[in-house]
Amino acid sequence: MGDRLRAVLPSVLSVLLALAVCWVFIALTRDAETATGAYLHMLRGGLGDWSAYLDGGRVTLLTRPLGEAAIKAALLLFTGLSVAVAFKVGLFNIGAQGQMLVGALAAAVVGAQLTLPSALHIPAALLAAGLAGGLWALIAAVLKLTRGVHEVISTIMLNWVAVSLVDNWLAVGPLRAGAGTNLSTTGTEQIAPTAQLPRLMEDLSRLHLGFPLALAVALAVWVWLARLRQGFETRAVGLGAEAARAAGIPVGRRTLEAMGLAGALAGLAGAVLVLGTEFRYPGSLGAPYGFDGIAISLIGGNHPLGVALSALFFGVLRAGGTRMQLLGVHKSYPELIQGLALLFVAGRLIWLALLRRRRLAPPAPHKQPEPSPEVPRA
Amino acid sequence: MLEIIEALLASTLEYFPALLFGALGATLSERSGVVNVGVEGMMRAGAFCAAVAAITVPTPVGVLAGMAAGGALAAVHGYLSIRWRSDQVVSGMALNLVALAGGTYLLEALFGPNGTTPIQQLTRWHLPFLSQVPLLRAFSGHSALTWLALTLPFAFHLMLYHTPLGLRLRAVGDKPHAVATLGLSVPGLRWLAVVGGGMFAGLGGAALSTAVLDRFEQHTPAGLGFMALAATVFGRWTPLGAFFASLFFAAGNALRIGLASSAPGLAEVVPQGFLLALPYLLTLVLLAFQGKRTHSPAALGTPYEQESR
Repeated sequence: MGDRLRAVLPSVLSVLLALAVCWVFIALTRDAETATGAYLHMLRGGLGDWSAYLDGGRVTLLTRPLGEAAIKAALLLFTGLSVAVAFKVGLFNIGAQGQMLVGALAAAVVGAQLTLPSALHIPAALLAAGLAGGLWALIAAVLKLTRGVHEVISTIMLNWVAVSLVDNWLAVGPLRAGAGTNLSTTGTEQIAPTAQLPRLMEDLSRLHLGFPLALAVALAVWVWLARLRQGFETRAVGLGAEAARAAGIPVGRRTLEAMGLAGALAGLAGAVLVLGTEFRYPGSLGAPYGFDGIAISLIGGNHPLGVALSALFFGVLRAGGTRMQLLGVHKSYPELIQGLALLFVAGRLIWLALLRRRRLAPPAPHKQPEPSPEVPRA
Repeated sequence: MLEIIEALLASTLEYFPALLFGALGATLSERSGVVNVGVEGMMRAGAFCAAVAAITVPTPVGVLAGMAAGGALAAVHGYLSIRWRSDQVVSGMALNLVALAGGTYLLEALFGPNGTTPIQQLTRWHLPFLSQVPLLRAFSGHSALTWLALTLPFAFHLMLYHTPLGLRLRAVGDKPHAVATLGLSVPGLRWLAVVGGGMFAGLGGAALSTAVLDRFEQHTPAGLGFMALAATVFGRWTPLGAFFASLFFAAGNALRIGLASSAPGLAEVVPQGFLLALPYLLTLVLLAFQGKRTHSPAALGTPYEQESR
């Protein structure tokens, strides 16, 4: 079994098993017909209603669902990359949610308060979001390096600090739309039209620039990790900080860079949400995209291109989730599939053992070198 | 003034059991060397199953069902991390996601979005000899779980530091190979600690849905499991540390709820968001001050392989 195959197969099989288990789950609680119907609805909601379109329906039957799937995928891709980049340097970033939140707020403030031409306004808002998310993540990195505070604990705490300060203070207080008046709105001012991410398909779907941007960023992260010296050193730190230090790699610096980048990526997720679809900070993010990023990253094997594939797949399921409600199946189902897939990915050594047994059936294999139980390499 | 302190103390004791049981569960598991970030998910499963079971059976039996649910989820964690040496943080986070999505789905499918049907709350003990005394009055009117939470850490301390089993549990988290040399089963001890820890976490969740509330709601336990995890670290992986850390966090929780509702004037001086962020900020600051001296079990997070080293 090739190394590549061994890295990819467990994830693919895990996703398939999760789909199967959830199908059985609906079939048991409802019936098999509903289960199949729900999956078909989910696909139609995410990939377009092809049969209706071919029967002479409007093209929006395809473009609307595909656009929604791409919008969801862009968010999942950014937070997934955020978690993946931190993983590469050996940190578990549970704080993508908080970093995304401060990024979204920064984008909303820059988008609403500055007056700039579009060519400058969008980059300025994206930059602000990236900086805000990056700085928020750096708090955890600095605490880790200087005080030995475990990043899992500190990023969880920082998530709540962000939610408390932003959702319970800034977005309902000083930064509220019409603050100081009697208007009882939640969320910040609408951003200026110059800050809105341009739509790519006009009125055919809501698809906006955020999606190609996310793909381009994934490609850039891949190049950085796989081809550049800094990326190599970052991965070396993740594989063993002591060995990396002995080899003369500046461990602290690479850690700060990677965690800052991770935060910036999560911040961009927030920016894409605000500049692409919400057009203001809505009072709360509405969904735990940051936690989804953990699942997306791990199912994608923490490899930028794998993360992109996994984000696309779950973007389709997420966009289709609302459609399932037509059959009375709750829209949280894609999240359950995602969670189960992650659980099965966690047992990737089980998959590898099963696959090996099939391959080497005749001569009983003597203990083979096990791949490290750590998350897969690039 | 006395009344305010009394009210804060009473409110602290409401949330204290859930935090403490979660923290003790994580302490037990992590002392044996298995990281447990799945506490939140195990609490959620415990809270849900306890509330659902208590619809048909007496509530104390429902609490046991909650414990079993937490233990069952922990068994999945054990299977992945002990038997298959999976990454323990990944496995724990996966359980959190499954419990979150699965709980949401089952709740909506069975009861609709507003939570389960109300159940009989655990009996609250009104103690006549305490309810006369100012300040101590706060201790009256809680369920048996609060009293269990106030005593369990000490029993736990005795078990961990003064029995052979405790010695073995501590050793298996620090030097598993030494334990194996003695002819003891490393996986066996870890299974015991992980599933036992999951049952405590389930009990913590059950405390929320049967003692604090009288139902399971969509947002139970609302991050309390992660807070319990922080209490484990802050308590330096000791039962008594978990006791004081949980008490501290529960007090912080009570303080922010109390301040927000009892002192509306304060909200104009200090934004409510700051009060809400306070316990988390304090945790960060305290963890930073606790410093680099590591107190975590030496083999924490390292899967045990007989043939390594």
